[in-house]
Amino acid sequence: MLVNEALAQQVRDQARELLEGGRVDCVIGYETGPRGGARPAFIYDAADVTRLIWNQACVHNLVTYLHDKKKPPRRGEQPPRVAVVAKPCDSRAVNVLLAEGQIERERVFVIGVTCEGLEDEEGAALPRCLRCADRVPVVYDVLLGEPPEVSPVEDGYGDLAGVEEMGASERLAFWLREFDRCIRCYACRQVCPGCYCTTCMFERDDGLWIDIGIEVSQKHLFHLGRALHLAGRCVECDECERVCPMDIPLSLLNRRLTREMEELYGHRAGREEVLTPLLFELGEEGSPI
Amino acid sequence: MKVTTLDALRSWLDTVVGEYDVVAPRDVDGHVLYRPVATSGEIVFSYERPELSVKDYLLPATEVLLRVEKRGGEVTVEENLADRGQVIFGVRPCDAHGPATIDALFLEQEPPDTYYSHHRARTVLIGMACPQLWEGCFCTSVGGAPDDATHLDVLLRRVDGGFAVDTVTEKGAKLIAGLCVEERDGAPDAPTTEGEAVPVMPPDAWRPLFGDNIWMRHGERCLSCRICTYVCPTCRCFDVADRVVEQGAGITRIERIRVWDACTSTNYRRAAGGHNSRPTKPVRLRNRSFCKFRYYPEDYGPLGCVGCGRCIVSCPVDIDITEVLQDVAERSGR
Repeated sequence: MLVNEALAQQVRDQARELLEGGRVDCVIGYETGPRGGARPAFIYDAADVTRLIWNQACVHNLVTYLHDKKKPPRRGEQPPRVAVVAKPCDSRAVNVLLAEGQIERERVFVIGVTCEGLEDEEGAALPRCLRCADRVPVVYDVLLGEPPEVSPVEDGYGDLAGVEEMGASERLAFWLREFDRCIRCYACRQVCPGCYCTTCMFERDDGLWIDIGIEVSQKHLFHLGRALHLAGRCVECDECERVCPMDIPLSLLNRRLTREMEELYGHRAGREEVLTPLLFELGEEGSPI
Repeated sequence: MKVTTLDALRSWLDTVVGEYDVVAPRDVDGHVLYRPVATSGEIVFSYERPELSVKDYLLPATEVLLRVEKRGGEVTVEENLADRGQVIFGVRPCDAHGPATIDALFLEQEPPDTYYSHHRARTVLIGMACPQLWEGCFCTSVGGAPDDATHLDVLLRRVDGGFAVDTVTEKGAKLIAGLCVEERDGAPDAPTTEGEAVPVMPPDAWRPLFGDNIWMRHGERCLSCRICTYVCPTCRCFDVADRVVEQGAGITRIERIRVWDACTSTNYRRAAGGHNSRPTKPVRLRNRSFCKFRYYPEDYGPLGCVGCGRCIVSCPVDIDITEVLQDVAERSGR
């Protein structure tokens, strides 16, 4: 594993400066977990910045935790000011949340880190990193690390070829088999920066289309519905796929819609601070639909 | 010791599937899970720890409790209870401690849970000892062991050329009467139990730690998903709902279902009017930990944790119950 200790030190220094200077109340970064990997860390005290790390195991998209920081810890107080360590893919989620009015730009300090791609527990490059040429976050308050020289990668959506070659019934059978393993733990939804509804429509007590049963029909509807709700909003961080205890290839659903959105609208979520055209331009003049 | 061969075990299992619902470890697209099997050929005999416990077959993730039919003015209510016996094969010892824990509440408190006790009564557990502790396992710190026969009906242990067979209960003896075994000298190798013991503090040590910052430290990164509770052999919270399955001319059919619920989810404690008494992640992690190590043992007897380690290895953000236990031990200074 490539350990960029210099960059890790810059993250610690930056965190210390922000906390000591009273610029933020909390820095969300990474620390070493008990089994050697990286895990999210919340640093409130400058003395604790030594816990912070940066390496290729820092896979988590920490932007999702900004939702927890929207409310004040106690009534009558201000919500905390937060700094968050963001890789290029994570930073796209910042743009989506800004466009959707979910976070206030001045309350969030984005510690952008340059990225050379991440690795899984076995040391293999993550699939999302193989098709990603972004080495610098799209939004940041400070940029740490030298952007490495990389030649741009053309995203040919090669990952989608397998399911797209299938006929409709074969594809349905493929997905039902995948969804059969789903345990409806909602980890995919909970980890997603774009899934922040107070009450998910798939979990309403008075749900019209879905009940609480953990059965294939409900799981099928949940996963397809969630993918649609993320059309033009999914930043392709693939966190949903990483956290799935049953290894359901959820990125195939999201990326199918990502491609559709790119072809129809030239839109790729989070590249800029704009809303998904699918939800807000449907039926307008000039809309391709 | 009594020993059976893999071939003998297979042919015996193939006779059992005709008479019982048989559940056994199966490779499901790369995941070893306890699943129903129709032949012994589907069973995996060499595996670590199935990714989900046997809970699903005693307290199903989704279970139809009642079927209600309204035809004209006539209403009929039918209870849904399986009529076949069930054999769960290849149960890891920790997975037998799971239902034993749930029994303390669902069987031993009044009134017993009809559906759970029905599944318990119809089920025989055939265990398969672990040769070692797997990643995250700490059964030896919570009263178990990789080859513990307690709460199983039969325990199998791997030996050269087959499996040593220990009959634990009458029920188990009756079931395996047809299994071909031979008497052999010697005893199975003891499992390796290397690994640091996890300190488990008694329930009363937890009380002063209710307001400690342990919960913030470990709970803040929680995602509020349900993985830890669903993979847990002892988590038993459920929700009940009625659903209309058919509504037509003069006929309405309704099912009452019981479905797993999870105290880690955001809306678990939401009450009428919208108030949520466990509104944050740290508070919910505290409750889950207190439930396992203080409330449950105080109220019903057994610890709410069998040390299977599933919640540890499956948590996407590395919340580790043994780290929590270490902190509790450290803070309580015992």
